[in-house]
Amino acid sequence: MTQIHVITAENQHSYKESLEEYFRLRHNVFVDERGWRNLHQPDGREVDAYDNQNAVYLLAIDQDRVVGGQRLYPTLLPHMLSEVFGHMAQRGLPRAHTIYEWTRYFVVKERRMGRTDCRLLAAIQQFCLEEGVTELTAVVEMWWLPRWQQVGFQVRPLGLPTIIEGQPCIAASIKISQESLDQVRGLAGLRNFSLVRHEDVSPILDRVPHVAA
Amino acid sequence: MSGRSLDYATEAFDFIDGLDHLATPEDVVDAVAKSFTLFGFENFIITGLPNPKERFEHVVLLKKWPKGWYDIYAKEDYVRSDPIIRLCRTTAQPFEWSEAPYNRDTEPKAAEIMDRATDFRMKQGFCLPIHGINGYEACFSMSGIDLDLSPRTKPALHLMAMYAFERARQLLKPRPYVGSGLLTPREREALVWAAAGKSAADTGEILGITERTVTAHIVSACQKLEAVNKTQAVARALQYKLIGL
Repeated sequence: MTQIHVITAENQHSYKESLEEYFRLRHNVFVDERGWRNLHQPDGREVDAYDNQNAVYLLAIDQDRVVGGQRLYPTLLPHMLSEVFGHMAQRGLPRAHTIYEWTRYFVVKERRMGRTDCRLLAAIQQFCLEEGVTELTAVVEMWWLPRWQQVGFQVRPLGLPTIIEGQPCIAASIKISQESLDQVRGLAGLRNFSLVRHEDVSPILDRVPHVAA
Repeated sequence: MSGRSLDYATEAFDFIDGLDHLATPEDVVDAVAKSFTLFGFENFIITGLPNPKERFEHVVLLKKWPKGWYDIYAKEDYVRSDPIIRLCRTTAQPFEWSEAPYNRDTEPKAAEIMDRATDFRMKQGFCLPIHGINGYEACFSMSGIDLDLSPRTKPALHLMAMYAFERARQLLKPRPYVGSGLLTPREREALVWAAAGKSAADTGEILGITERTVTAHIVSACQKLEAVNKTQAVARALQYKLIGL
């Protein structure tokens, strides 16, 4: 069965192979499939400046196989929306201790008809609720909006859509709430849903952020 | 120029924030009509895309359409031949009506739809397809005589349409499994196991019925879904949300 695993700097030694697979899948999905050529890497691993000790990954793993993933990053540090996409947040950029940026979300092609999306979306709400994260920011293609809304996410646009790599994209903020978690779980029939987390992972809001390399 | 585009942004955000305060679907119709007039739009429809067994009238969420046009469109079942609806199924990007391809010679009905629409001041149009989780499909199509469509106005319209759609969906709370009565429980079960990669023999064992009975359920589901084989039946059943995984 597919489960969502929480991976931070503290426990990534136990997930070496899964993370390696995750970076390769990111290259497959974002560079090869969606055509974000500026992310191309000669070694086929899509790794950027935010894949550092401050990143938190929630990976969907089914019998040792990574089938989807997503990344969280503190907004108090320089992050993608503050450094690269600032012009997309005309209404102001939310930054706070309890606000995280949500990036590199994907589900592998053969799992897009199933419940993997809902599992990952439920996981992000549940993880943030458990950790005290109140809000997420993200830059996504516009077609994500109705999908998020359908699963009960409360989404506030931070600016107007802007064309990136030929696709209308938007900067948005997503509120973390129990209602949203309940709705996505209900929609996908995810009963007894829980995250796989190791005991040695300390609460993310207690960690001192390291300035990104 | 930047002053104009700033106005569109303000208009869009005010519109979106205002949607939360609307209590009824009729309020949404009024709010959309008022704001979209600024871009030249006179008519619009927010509708689900019907599966082969659903009637167009049953999937419409909200509309401000000329009465005469709605009656003709429903009576002639134009939704099956409308090039706008067809393009909605294959793209997630908003498009102008003029960008929806059809062949005047081989698709006379498509040409007839586009021609007759102009009789109702629906000359130009802009359409936003909506693709949800598990194959839910809908669109927001708007039209008029003289539209203000440009790289500056389209992003605002795109965003406004998406939020108006969501507000309409919330207020109308459409049944989550549209047309779920189409298949019997046994037919659905047979397709779910087929989707899980099981043969008819496997499925028979799981359900405690004979392989022949399973095949009969699949054949019946294929007929109802107008599918040529089991694979297409599974694909359609998923698309219409008659089964889940």
